[in-house]
Amino acid sequence: MADFSWDVRSPLDRALVAGAYGAQGDAGVSLTEIRNFDLVQVMARRGKAGEMAKAAKARFGIAAPETRKAVGTSDATLIWSGPDQFLVLSKGGKHGIDALAPVFTGSASLSDQSHARVLISVSGEKARAMLAKVSSIDLHPDVFGVGAAAATSMDHTSVTLWRNNDRDGQAVFNLLVFGTFAESLWHTILDSAAEYGVTISHSEELA
Amino acid sequence: MRIVCPFCGERELGEFTYLGDAKPQRPAADAGEDAVYDYVYLRDNIAGVMSEHWYHGGGCRAWLKVTRNTLTHEISAVEPAAGAGAAKVGA
Repeated sequence: MADFSWDVRSPLDRALVAGAYGAQGDAGVSLTEIRNFDLVQVMARRGKAGEMAKAAKARFGIAAPETRKAVGTSDATLIWSGPDQFLVLSKGGKHGIDALAPVFTGSASLSDQSHARVLISVSGEKARAMLAKVSSIDLHPDVFGVGAAAATSMDHTSVTLWRNNDRDGQAVFNLLVFGTFAESLWHTILDSAAEYGVTISHSEELA
Repeated sequence: MRIVCPFCGERELGEFTYLGDAKPQRPAADAGEDAVYDYVYLRDNIAGVMSEHWYHGGGCRAWLKVTRNTLTHEISAVEPAAGAGAAKVGA
């Protein structure tokens, strides 16, 4: 039998070129792909939303979001992804699918999305201006504050978008996109951001 | 046209897919061939207020029941369709 050597790579491995892109000078947009995360989709079984919420509270110490919010604990982020469902984003296996499966036995169905999605962090002075070109939702700080989340589409591609804690006084937007659509959306984002100047990087750290 | 998704808020039409008339109800198993034929094939072409199914595929992936005036595109109600959101309907 043939031996397979699986080489785990990001779907953006080819498209992402670290460094500067677009207009010269101070970069208005910073794009960071975050790699090597654990992502689990949790969806309540019919009529079991209450049980799921209880199990989540016991596990994470905070209530899972029931509306368009993302909430953080010291080692996980719970992101609303639709009615009676949320995503658990973490690192290092502590809240990976194997760890969470027993927690939600009977109340929710779990699906491992760790290698199915790409996580892109967008920040910088012109982050909002750039996102406004590809998103139809209102990202004004009065409407889309820290912790706001949305299941929406960018360039006809489904994304989960949420706003992280500010960094250096500036808003940070995270977006999760399906792996096979990531390269296409990445190019769209680069095109949208080019006029502002872009700094591109990848990281293993969850922001 | 925009639809106010009960889960996501106001969103552009491009995030939604139209399914069709939300009125027809699946007939009982012994209802007979005519009732099944009506259910599968016959649709009213309503000029006015109509109840429709829409799918928010570009967002929260919930099925919605939208009450829309086909003449003016005015939407008077949007609610989750049966089964959308495990706890909301038909739990």
